[in-house]
Amino acid sequence: MPSEFLDIQAYEKIVLAKITKERLLEAPVIALLGEDLLKLIDRYPRLSLILDLSDVAYLSSAFIGKLVALFKALSAAKGRMIVAGVRPSLMPLFQVTRLDKIMAFEPVVEKAIQLYKRT
Amino acid sequence: MTLPLIVSNAEPPALHTVLWQTSVPSCIERKLGLIDEITAVLRLNGLLGPDDEHWLALCLDEALVNAMLHGNEADDTVPVTIQVGRTGNRWQVRIDDQGSGFSADDVPDQDASESLLLEHGRGIRLMREWLDELGYYRNGATIIMGRQIPDSHA
Repeated sequence: MPSEFLDIQAYEKIVLAKITKERLLEAPVIALLGEDLLKLIDRYPRLSLILDLSDVAYLSSAFIGKLVALFKALSAAKGRMIVAGVRPSLMPLFQVTRLDKIMAFEPVVEKAIQLYKRT
Repeated sequence: MTLPLIVSNAEPPALHTVLWQTSVPSCIERKLGLIDEITAVLRLNGLLGPDDEHWLALCLDEALVNAMLHGNEADDTVPVTIQVGRTGNRWQVRIDDQGSGFSADDVPDQDASESLLLEHGRGIRLMREWLDELGYYRNGATIIMGRQIPDSHA
């Protein structure tokens, strides 16, 4: 059963995946979200994914691990990802772990969509 | 300043003033409720700044998962004890499990380039960044973490 906390909108190869849970701290929720996000790679070849985290106010290191797994799987499948809408208070988590150096971040979800439409 | 990771075999020091304490079975389903309770205690005592709660939740999540799942091996007959305290303008949380602890050598160096794409091991690195006190005692079976109240809230 797909996660109730993931809202998917697909525009051809651009997929907007919005996580609708405020607190990403529970292992079963994180595991299910991770599985559902990985399934998108099989469903959409050369996926251009926008992962919208604008509803997320709390996250654990376990979720960051899932994000890295998704990034690696997407790269292997010649897909791409923009992590969008990260709240300014959460951005230091990605800076400390240096993930901001390897992943694309865009504060505004609409801008991320425009970015993909141009390329 | 990023704190070093130090795991010692010493006995932990007692918390100065204990505000709240509990002992719970190692049921990971209890984790979220415990995070909420500890956060509420610190908030009620004026010990949290506006951006502190998500950092605190991340640190408590890491420490409780380590104590319940790794230390006590998810055995719900084995308790985890938790104390919340304050000393002056800083809070402290102490969590004890009944396990044998861990070695700092087994924790990936998250600042090394080869660790960048690891799918685990970032929790302690993040704790070292935000906390201003982080000590592992009894070979890692006890953690004491703490942080000064932000100046604007002191």
